[in-house]
Amino acid sequence: MKRIILAALAASTFAAAAHAENVNICVEGAYPPFSWTEASGDVVGFDIDIANALAVEMGMTATMVKTDWDGIIPALLEGKCDAIIASMSITEERKQVIDFSAKYYNSPAGFIGAEGMMADALDGKVVGVQRGTIHQDFMEGEFPNVELRLYGSQDEVYLDLTANRIDAAIGDSIAMDDGFLSTEAGAGYAFFGEMYSIPKYHGDGAGVGVRQEDTELRDAFSAAILAVRASGEYAMINDKYFEIDIYGGE
Amino acid sequence: MENLIEYAPLLARGALITVLLALAALAMATVLGGLGAMGKISGGRIVRLLVFGYTTIVRGVPDLVLILLIYFGGQRLISIASNAVGLEYIELSKFWSGVVAIGFIYGAYLTETFRGAYLTVPAGQREAAMSMGMRPVQVLRAVTLPQLVRFALPGYANVWQVLVKSTAVVSVIGLEDLVGLANDAGKSVREPFLFFTAVFFAYLFFTWVSQSIFNAAEKRYALKEHGDAV
Repeated sequence: MKRIILAALAASTFAAAAHAENVNICVEGAYPPFSWTEASGDVVGFDIDIANALAVEMGMTATMVKTDWDGIIPALLEGKCDAIIASMSITEERKQVIDFSAKYYNSPAGFIGAEGMMADALDGKVVGVQRGTIHQDFMEGEFPNVELRLYGSQDEVYLDLTANRIDAAIGDSIAMDDGFLSTEAGAGYAFFGEMYSIPKYHGDGAGVGVRQEDTELRDAFSAAILAVRASGEYAMINDKYFEIDIYGGE
Repeated sequence: MENLIEYAPLLARGALITVLLALAALAMATVLGGLGAMGKISGGRIVRLLVFGYTTIVRGVPDLVLILLIYFGGQRLISIASNAVGLEYIELSKFWSGVVAIGFIYGAYLTETFRGAYLTVPAGQREAAMSMGMRPVQVLRAVTLPQLVRFALPGYANVWQVLVKSTAVVSVIGLEDLVGLANDAGKSVREPFLFFTAVFFAYLFFTWVSQSIFNAAEKRYALKEHGDAV
């Protein structure tokens, strides 16, 4: 009898899973700890855990579509995926092309450099930044006298920082702390100056990117983010990767 | 180093994609190059103009632009077309988009390689063969082609080696070739140098293998003079 009930249960769960709508989510896979590639080729990290949690909350199944950062917005627009969860900051510029859910985290931006570096000594120095990011816009707007060097990825910025080709780097505080400062290569480097969170540049944090016509999906993601915040699911994922709560101000 | 060993199977998968992509693209480029050369040599005015347009435009456009245009632009065209006839969403394959983009580009280079090789075969030989009553197909098979292959091989080998390297641009559309995967893996374990060094040696290995194959081919098609036997 027990076995029959179990079998029936299994069958009904399978049936439910088969009926659940699938959502394809574009992820990046080269931005630890938010998203990185395992030896098996699977993409894992904070973004992916959040993506799965949100899909479960929405009663959907999620399929991760690994996409290069440079091609991620075109991939969404051409229907290769239905949503982007790749630590993409919500900005006005991007909003002209795609739409965003409410933020799922917001971490401030900061400078790193050799220990002892001072923010007021930045003029005439060379600062490295990832191309096409909010940090580039911020530097161009607020530090016009600082020479910028642009890179395709954050790791190339670190490589040139340790090679002394640049004096400092700007980027997301969490990504730089975890991705560089707390690694072997980051010994002798530290944050300097203030932490910045100016909405004009830094927007409203990172959100789930969707196509502009998919307002229903966007609202479903926004609601799911609040729901996983409330249920404690978010905190569990957050604590797996970070010491602090990266959701930022409510 | 243990990271490299751990990721070795993944990188091997990427290397396989790179090799398959390069071979498929070469096949397409060879067909296009052959057609293009035929068009340039013996086509009418319109055909010649078309081939001229193809080789001029393609050789002037960066690989990256063309691959983005084919993959994302092609997807849009397919979506519009399938919507119009009421079909479901049809997914354009990353692999074949890459093959088409790279094959299309290098077809233009091979057009010139083949045309140059054809023109190197003295016209007098063809005329002599025709005067002996051989049909055009026979002339091509018995007289022109064997020599054309010999003249085209060095240029063909050159195009192949450039083609292999240019497959790296496909990682921008998320196709998991050797460079794309090494890039992701290197960043994931924060040892980009190590992984790019591995890629460096992998490409050097590809070059070495293809060089050996082409050297053997060049020997096979080399002119054997009667004096050699003495």
